[in-house]
Amino acid sequence: RSGGRPRPIMAAMPPPSAPGGQEPPPTPLQYSLLLQHLVGEKRQPRAWDPAALGGIPSPPKSEEQKMVERAMESCAFKAALACVGGFVLGGAFGVFTAGIDTNVGFDPKDPYRTPTAKEVLKDMGQRGISYAKNFAIVGAMFSCTECVVESYRGKSDWKNSVISGCITGGAIGFRAGLKAGVIGCGGFAAFSAAIDYYLR
Amino acid sequence: MDPLRAQQLAAELEVDMMADMYNRMTQACHRKCVPPHYKDVELSKGESVCLDRCVAKYLEVHERMGKKLTELSLQDEELLKRMQQGTGTA
Repeated sequence: RSGGRPRPIMAAMPPPSAPGGQEPPPTPLQYSLLLQHLVGEKRQPRAWDPAALGGIPSPPKSEEQKMVERAMESCAFKAALACVGGFVLGGAFGVFTAGIDTNVGFDPKDPYRTPTAKEVLKDMGQRGISYAKNFAIVGAMFSCTECVVESYRGKSDWKNSVISGCITGGAIGFRAGLKAGVIGCGGFAAFSAAIDYYLR
Repeated sequence: MDPLRAQQLAAELEVDMMADMYNRMTQACHRKCVPPHYKDVELSKGESVCLDRCVAKYLEVHERMGKKLTELSLQDEELLKRMQQGTGTA
């Protein structure tokens, strides 16, 4: 007798045949065979339809549709979108500030000379491009890190934007030294937390 | 019990089992991955990723438990057979 732990036995014993009975005892229910067909090696793979199982019936998505949806949800696409958006926004912002901050065409010999149209336009273009590139890079970095952090954590709450803001700000400020990196991290994280709070 | 009868029975039971598993999985993963803040209609990236992982883990747990259960039932049937043979020859 094995000293096993008490466990309910998972096979069914056939009822004892009646004395002088003519009928053979019914075959016992073999759980192991049944289970092998249900969840074991003998299970046949089938195509399950969620509508039949209790879900809401919906037409199946084609492979191209799934691929397109996967691409549009990917982190690379979101980063590219933020890059383009940042470029446009930065360009507009740069052109706008070029109009406000007038130090173009300053001639020390003649401080009251009005700058020519060509100089002004050139300055606007340069500032616009410069701001656009910066905004595009920052936007792409922030969006990429936020998407990666969100994919890693598996949740979407305010902490994602704070963490990615810190990473982005730190990376930008780190080029000017460690202290600037820390300040950049804190500043950008606070900024993105404020934006997130406003948006949610 | 002949294998054909077992297969038929299993096919009938499998539909019930799959439906039950699907419903439980949907409930569990929804409770775990989708917090009750309904500010947006679409599932966010974090929630989609969480649901993918939840479903994969649930199905793997289901498969492993099934295999373990089959193993245990085989052991029990061996034991039962030995007991029966023991009482038969005694």
